[in-house]
Amino acid sequence: MTEIKRDVISYGFVAMLSGAFLLWVIPAFSPEYPGYGAPPTLMPNVAACLMLGLSLLGLVRTVLRRRRADGGTADGVRWRHLFLFFLPCGLMMPAMHHLGFIPAGLLFMAFIQLACGQRRIAPLVLVAALPVLAVYLLMRYALGVPMP
Amino acid sequence: MIETILAGFADALHLANILFVLLGVVVGVTAGAIPGINGPMAIALCIPLSYYMSPVAAIGFLVGVNKGAFFGGSIPGILLNAPGTPESAATTWDGHPMALQGKGEKALRVALYSSVTGDAFATLLLVLVAAPLASVALYMGPPEIFALICVAMTIIASLGTRSLTRGLIAAAFGILIGMVGIEPVSALPRLTFGIVALERGISLIPIGIGMLAFSEIIMQLERLIGSTTTQEVISFSDKAEDRLFSLGEFLRCGKTLLRSSFVGSMVGALPGLGAPVASFFAYDQAVKHSYCPDTFGKGNLEGIAASEAANSAVAASSLIPLFTLGIPGNMAAALLIGAFVVHGMTPGPLMFEQNARFVYAVYGSVVIASLLLLLVGRAGLRLFCKLVQVPPLTLYPVIIFTCTMGAYLSQYTAFDVTLMLAFSLLAYFMRKFDYSFICLIIGFILAPIWETSLQQVIIASEIDPFMFAKRPVAIILMALTFFIIAKTAFAACKANTSSPALRGAPSCHACPPRTPSTLP
Repeated sequence: MTEIKRDVISYGFVAMLSGAFLLWVIPAFSPEYPGYGAPPTLMPNVAACLMLGLSLLGLVRTVLRRRRADGGTADGVRWRHLFLFFLPCGLMMPAMHHLGFIPAGLLFMAFIQLACGQRRIAPLVLVAALPVLAVYLLMRYALGVPMP
Repeated sequence: MIETILAGFADALHLANILFVLLGVVVGVTAGAIPGINGPMAIALCIPLSYYMSPVAAIGFLVGVNKGAFFGGSIPGILLNAPGTPESAATTWDGHPMALQGKGEKALRVALYSSVTGDAFATLLLVLVAAPLASVALYMGPPEIFALICVAMTIIASLGTRSLTRGLIAAAFGILIGMVGIEPVSALPRLTFGIVALERGISLIPIGIGMLAFSEIIMQLERLIGSTTTQEVISFSDKAEDRLFSLGEFLRCGKTLLRSSFVGSMVGALPGLGAPVASFFAYDQAVKHSYCPDTFGKGNLEGIAASEAANSAVAASSLIPLFTLGIPGNMAAALLIGAFVVHGMTPGPLMFEQNARFVYAVYGSVVIASLLLLLVGRAGLRLFCKLVQVPPLTLYPVIIFTCTMGAYLSQYTAFDVTLMLAFSLLAYFMRKFDYSFICLIIGFILAPIWETSLQQVIIASEIDPFMFAKRPVAIILMALTFFIIAKTAFAACKANTSSPALRGAPSCHACPPRTPSTLP
């Protein structure tokens, strides 16, 4: 992905997002004006207008730049990498609710280590067990926190 | 007044408080010593733990973490040429050549003593300057505060990022996120999408942990997986002159230490510039004032002293705008605002009137943290050196698990973990698309103060559009805002037209936005 393509995508996305906020989110999810002070929509509207104006400005500048030069390359998004780490993290809390803190924590740590590239059994088991047990003891007995 | 100061310092000297500050310093040095972990990341992870401490101990603990991390960051920089924190990058230029000559321990000692000197200088400045400045700041009304936040956010967006446009977009998005929750005037939910858990507003903890710690680890794992680089093995010389930093050498670095401490204190007191700018600028000044500038970059003690004194001075001096105006000077100070709020304090000039004893107790903790940093650094130098060798495959899964549990600890709900993941995903995309997530976090933190001051202006003036015109200080501050925007935009246009090659330069969030010309 080139820097120009990256900028076009990001400014375009911000413009669409701020447009959605201005036209739908802010009017639909803000309370009525109580009759004094500033309206509850004022600050969100100011922020969204700022985002919209700046993103359109950035878009125009990027398009003008595109005519003059191609620009450098930018690092792309690695979807597989994101999926590999965010999916187990997203599933950990429901798993803790159904399986219990320690089994779900051990499974999570083992999976994350495998995803990181750990292939040796002894470190994998130790690194899975020790932090989970330490956090369990800390939360359960030292801090008295309700367990997830 | 004297009784309040003494009572505050007596609170700071409680054994429990000293132990928590000690714990903070150890955690901070440990975190800084591990490549890939930095001060704000460590603070974000430690804030949930501070819930269980008294307010004085909690702030002392977090200040200890911050100070420890500034020194700790120099350890991997010197030994591995891989700075643990961006502000330690300048330390590596002279520190790593020394380590390659077998003088790694000496370089670390120079870094330690310089850090403590810079820190002590800035702490003294904080104690002397904050209270008088706060009494002046008390004369500022809502219009001035509103205008001041405009200036602060513009400075942060223009100096802390490579693009003012993207910096301001990020700050505006942060403000939008800060608007989620109960609206202050009508007391009804706003922008909550009907989700009950959002009615309390979004807490700083999931945002801080997600954007600073979790996304950083995901980015580092992306670089690590598939990379084949191996670490250099550093050996230490046994000769005393290669290990110890003598008093004579310390005195020879005296001028550099003082100059760099002053530079660091000034940079830290200004919002947005941060420690990396301080250390690069101080290094640049050390080279310019040296009789033998050619030795810089090859293992000059003054190079390490300049960088470390300046970046450590930022840790204490960044508390000056926090205490006097309630505006964070850098990311660590922004996270401290969250900790203050959790413990029922609102940073700002009123704190000196309403919680003076607490403020002086925090001063005491800051002084204690400086002394403990010296002790911990001296006692555990060799031990901390071993930390740089912890394999990332062991470390990163532990940090990921700690991030998840830290987010859960903030309010004991799985919803906060989901929020943390969502914000880390957002930070990942912001990094990839070259947006500053730091501007977003600062915009998020300042949004409620900004909105409250605007509400007060509108209510007090009965919707008079010329309210700002009647306040000269507010007019000056707003003019300053427009001047900064115009100047940055002009400089960007000039750079764009004069050097097209720069446009293709690779970008990296760990690198500071400004680098002086004389660096090696």
